[in-house]
Amino acid sequence: MSDGKIVESVVTYITKQIVDDAETVEVEVASDGPDAVVAEVRTAKSDMGRVIGRRGRVARAIRSVARAAGDEEGLSVQVEFLD
Amino acid sequence: MEWIEIEATTVDEAVAVALKELGLSSRTEATVEVIREGKSGFIGLGRQMAVVKVSKAPSQRSRRRRRGRGKGGSDGDSQSNGGRGGQSRSEKTSGDSSGSSGGGNRNKGGSRSRSENGNRRSEGGRTSEKRQRSSTQSDARTDDEGGERSSNKAVLAEQTEVAADFLRGLLEAFGLEGTVETRNEKDALYIDIEGDQTEALVGPKGTVLQAVHELTRTVVQRKTFGAPRIRLDIAGYAARRRKALQIYSSQLATKVIEDKEETMLEPMNAADRKVVHDAVGEIDGVRSFSEGQEPHRSVVIAPAE
Repeated sequence: MSDGKIVESVVTYITKQIVDDAETVEVEVASDGPDAVVAEVRTAKSDMGRVIGRRGRVARAIRSVARAAGDEEGLSVQVEFLD
Repeated sequence: MEWIEIEATTVDEAVAVALKELGLSSRTEATVEVIREGKSGFIGLGRQMAVVKVSKAPSQRSRRRRRGRGKGGSDGDSQSNGGRGGQSRSEKTSGDSSGSSGGGNRNKGGSRSRSENGNRRSEGGRTSEKRQRSSTQSDARTDDEGGERSSNKAVLAEQTEVAADFLRGLLEAFGLEGTVETRNEKDALYIDIEGDQTEALVGPKGTVLQAVHELTRTVVQRKTFGAPRIRLDIAGYAARRRKALQIYSSQLATKVIEDKEETMLEPMNAADRKVVHDAVGEIDGVRSFSEGQEPHRSVVIAPAE
């Protein structure tokens, strides 16, 4: 299975745990070539700072865990944060 | 350590607000860590708030160096206000908080303090002041000089639950089988994730483990407005690594004694530094201390004086 389902569930889960407004969180995982996906994370504007964190630490951590999720599916993962 | 993190348009403003919150009258009484310098941007575009982390300075131990002050602050101005706020120690009174938000608004385009009982974010959500403390007891923060704070069991229990829930959910999201076990020792929260499949959450050189750690702390902080010291281990990785670091430190210490020359290790996080300090402490004839600023703080092993 390599359709990014694990990436999607992991990134969605983490993001919703971190934001204030979990309802607004949307994660879209799209193919980005063979064995590669891009996860687009959308949150409320006001939650952007939370998802990114000071010095981008939270964003970096999410990316790292997302890559681990991708490894489970044999996918390389890129995560983009949008509001 | 009791600390608060404040976001404002400039570093100086953030510091001023923080001092007021902590009831300190001057910056010299505080340990200030600049997390991020602010950027003014262009009509709000690309603007970045300055973020500082401030705690009451230990009265005896050496104060940490402060670096990177923002320009154009209104330090003195807010400081007089800080002195006033400092008198009312019990920060829960609404009178005090309205006073502090008035103080914030005086600064042109400055930080707006949120009132204690009000919304967590001020309008627009661009200016916010976060209060993050490991304990809600106000008396716990008045006597944190000896290092050991009186712990708040209820808060720690809640934080423990939040952390464990988050991690169980994470395993589920990954579709991994594993167990999450927690225990509290003193003020710290120890978490062990075990199970063969959980190796996936360690990652190369423990990078994923570190990320999971960071996220756990973030979630706990978001949900309980404070975070204890968290020690996270996954699939026994941290324990193995700690063992290796202990052995390495002991070997280095022996070499320092032989060569009579101090050695600086590569930069490490606080938890790893403690492992080194503890290992060196076991050996006579050497001492260790840390030097430099996070995240490049390093342990130095030196011959005993």
